Amino acid sequence: MDLLDFARGPALQVALAVFVLGTLWRLAGVLLLPRLRDLSPAREGAPAPLAGALRIIVRRMWPRPEFAQATMFMTINSWIFHVGLAVVVFGLAPHILFIRNLLGLHWPALPSNLVYGVGVVTLASLVAVLVRRLRHPVMRLLSHAGDYISWLMTALPVATGLLATAHIGARYETLLALHILSIAALLVWFPFGKLMHALLFAFSRGATGIRFSHRGVEV
Amino acid sequence: MSERILCVGDLLRQRGVSRRDFLQYTSVMASLLALPPSAAPALAEGLAKARRQAVIWLSFQECTGCIESLTRSFSPSLEDLIFDFISLDYQHALQAASGEAAEAARRQSMKDNAGKYIVVVDGSVPTADGGVYSCIAGQSNIDMLAETVADAAAVVAVGTCAAFGGLPQAHPNPTGAVSISTLVKNKPVVNIPGCPPMPQAMAGTLVHLLSFGKLPELDPLNRPRAFFGETIHDRCYRRPFYEKGMFAKSFDDEGARQGWCLYELGCKGPVTYNACASQKWNGGVSFPIQSGHGCIGCSEAGFWDRGGLYQPLSAGTTDMGKVIGIAAVAGVALGAGSAAIARKRQADYAATDKKEA
Amino acid sequence: MNAPASTTLPKPNFDRQGEQGYQERVDAAMRSFVREFGVTAALHMESCVRCGLCAEACHFYIATRDPKYTPVHKLELFRRAYFREASPFAPVVRALGLVKKPTIDELQRWQELIYDSCTMCGRCTLVCPMGIDIAELVKEARHGMYKAGLIPERLALMDRTARQWGSPATPAEDLPDILQEVSAEHGVPIPCDLAQADILVTAAPAELGDHTKALADAAKILNRIGVKWTMHQEGFDASNIGFNNGDMELQERLTRALVDTAVKIGAKTILLPECGHAYGAARWEAAKWYGAALPVRIIHMTEFLDELLASGQIRVNKIADSATFHDPCQIVRRGGLEAAARRVLAALGFELIELQDAGVSGFCCGGGGGVVSNIRATPLRAKVFEMKKAQVEATGAKRFVTSCGQCRITLEQGAKNTHWTKKTESLLELVADNLAQ
Repeated sequence: MDLLDFARGPALQVALAVFVLGTLWRLAGVLLLPRLRDLSPAREGAPAPLAGALRIIVRRMWPRPEFAQATMFMTINSWIFHVGLAVVVFGLAPHILFIRNLLGLHWPALPSNLVYGVGVVTLASLVAVLVRRLRHPVMRLLSHAGDYISWLMTALPVATGLLATAHIGARYETLLALHILSIAALLVWFPFGKLMHALLFAFSRGATGIRFSHRGVEV
Repeated sequence: MSERILCVGDLLRQRGVSRRDFLQYTSVMASLLALPPSAAPALAEGLAKARRQAVIWLSFQECTGCIESLTRSFSPSLEDLIFDFISLDYQHALQAASGEAAEAARRQSMKDNAGKYIVVVDGSVPTADGGVYSCIAGQSNIDMLAETVADAAAVVAVGTCAAFGGLPQAHPNPTGAVSISTLVKNKPVVNIPGCPPMPQAMAGTLVHLLSFGKLPELDPLNRPRAFFGETIHDRCYRRPFYEKGMFAKSFDDEGARQGWCLYELGCKGPVTYNACASQKWNGGVSFPIQSGHGCIGCSEAGFWDRGGLYQPLSAGTTDMGKVIGIAAVAGVALGAGSAAIARKRQADYAATDKKEA
Repeated sequence: MNAPASTTLPKPNFDRQGEQGYQERVDAAMRSFVREFGVTAALHMESCVRCGLCAEACHFYIATRDPKYTPVHKLELFRRAYFREASPFAPVVRALGLVKKPTIDELQRWQELIYDSCTMCGRCTLVCPMGIDIAELVKEARHGMYKAGLIPERLALMDRTARQWGSPATPAEDLPDILQEVSAEHGVPIPCDLAQADILVTAAPAELGDHTKALADAAKILNRIGVKWTMHQEGFDASNIGFNNGDMELQERLTRALVDTAVKIGAKTILLPECGHAYGAARWEAAKWYGAALPVRIIHMTEFLDELLASGQIRVNKIADSATFHDPCQIVRRGGLEAAARRVLAALGFELIELQDAGVSGFCCGGGGGVVSNIRATPLRAKVFEMKKAQVEATGAKRFVTSCGQCRITLEQGAKNTHWTKKTESLLELVADNLAQ
């Protein structure tokens, strides 16, 4: 079995298993903790809890105008690499085939050249956030090893994907194998680091949305 | 009259092949072998002076496709001429003799040409249960191979079966099939994979051996770089569609009819090293992709066990359903367990706090 | 309560209460921390992506540019307790020793971050892209610090006083005398300890100390609308210092004192003074401590004024001045009374010029959450005050109004220390002084 067969076979299988197991473990482990019901009366005219939750889930995608200036770099840069990653992951035909193989879902692909361009921009944006994390005093204080691993696990698939499409650095089957292995690594790491925010963000924002819509605060 | 051993040039002249035809043949061959233009005369001269090369062709667990490919021809053909340059002393499909006479011919050639004959092998060698699954004249393939290569000058493993194990080696490999290079360690082995291999790859390698007395430049898997240096994808005429992301989604849909890339239909072109896309088959008529079917990667090891011929390269090769199902159940269970442990700790702490208060 | 101005930063220090040994303190803190982790707290602890945006919202960080004041960093030991003991992978974390238990040294050094440099104002909560309610988590972490006997001494003193007196400011038995004095001084009847009333009126240290006129102002308005109301010794201070300090027992006791007294006298409404933390404690958290939905309605003075003005029960003469408003964190950003306050201002006829950061995203006065009482935090508070002052000046407004007694005291202290002549006024006082006939 060569590296590519290993990547597409046992590596992906184990990685997906760990991903599913770890993610559900973490989610269930959090969501099954004690729940406190808010017995205080809601403000008159307050929206239903679910509406309050959904509202903030959407609203927090962009900072309030008062914070826009101070948070400009992180906001714009994060949008760039999040959207970039989405375009690359969900827009490139081979990726859609990967998902179709797993879940049976598929949709029209974007032109491959467009996606390659977005991939380059995404990688640049990821490098920018790493530089920020390494230099800004606040982020340096807050960041720990897991944050840098999460960065690496996100950047490696983009980088190896670009190298593979450009056929740079090694024979194509090796580059493709490395790309798939980097995805496997990402999947294995996902449940254990901050990448889990991809799933948690809705619950975390939602909880605060419920708390404050109950109080009649427009957050 | 002195016994002069006739060389290839003499034999060709005897057959009425003009020098002009001969030079044409050698210059084409030189180009196929990706040799520089200056090499063509050297190839011609070497070939003209060459003795008819003794070749023993062993066929083990094979389908006869390789010799079919080599002999598939328009007459007169390049491949056809090769038989003027070699003395094919043993080959199951083409030999006139059979039974004990055939085996005797083989052994005689080995004796007469000790140290100088070439062994061409097609088919894999079964090793399970003492190699009983393929025997010729009461001799297992393992033993026949060992006996025959003992005094050979070089071994040419032709076809994916001989080069890498091929179809017989596909999961679960009941016969314990292995490639020739797994068993032959002390002789130079050239691999010319393909299912079947391209006829010009087989012929060209032999011509190179004859003319220059050495093997052509080989890659790390011992394949001649001239034919296996690039992937199908590198030379595929449908590449622009790949770059643009225009893929046929099913056979005979609009994209397929327009000749779009066959990636979604499982084409393994990007990871398959062969010359099909540039040199094509049947005298340059076509090749699978041009005919509307994706490359199945037949010249690569294990191509049968890659998840299926129609499974795109970016998809996984194993069925994930059961594994993911078990993982999901286990994950939720572990999560519930850890939440229970946390709650228990909290309850214990509450009790401790109450006691302390 | 009036701290001397100091421009030198205090040496890193901490206060200790009680006779517990070091290990006992750490264990007590950890037990308390772990017990806080229900779903919401856990979700929040899991979701931080270390983006650093919370720092950009925190007035302490903005005023000093010191990264240690990054809000989520103030939760560091709380975070470690979570991942070690209550998170989904906690058993593995413990087994592999991936997260260390806090040491006594860390816990002691942490006091400054949790108490001196956090007013629980919630501005960080507002900016967090993951919606993490950092302010709430700081409040929960304080529970553990209290249990460990590691809160600032001044706050501990007030805590002991409140446990004894029912208020950090005033012994309950002094209340009737205080009310009589205020009543006499301002010529307004102020009922005390009535056996039956419809509204139980409460106060906070500001009303019971620096700004006793507020008691008369409230009385004037209540008397005007003709309701049966009273203040009561058994439940008179709504400020709930337990809420600030992290003393959960005290928080529950003080909450019950208000509710039980209201029930006892048959009151259906508890009127809170102009106080921020009183609102958080009584309006939003009381039911939790009470164990059931409250049998009474909790209403803040600002809401009360809004309702009376909106229904026409009282009318005010218009003041044709420009004014700017400081939004108390606990009643606006965390309480929901942004619009109510502005309706009152509009009724008063002010030309409202908003601060650059106003409403839900207004800057904290810098004194909330016990910080104004924490002497050690004075230099930090002074820096924050400079920001607030600059924003007020920038509006060019003539009047400066707020609706929380503690904010008012904090701002007045700052004004005094910087020789700022701007007076900080209160909505209640303005309404009472301008009641129309």
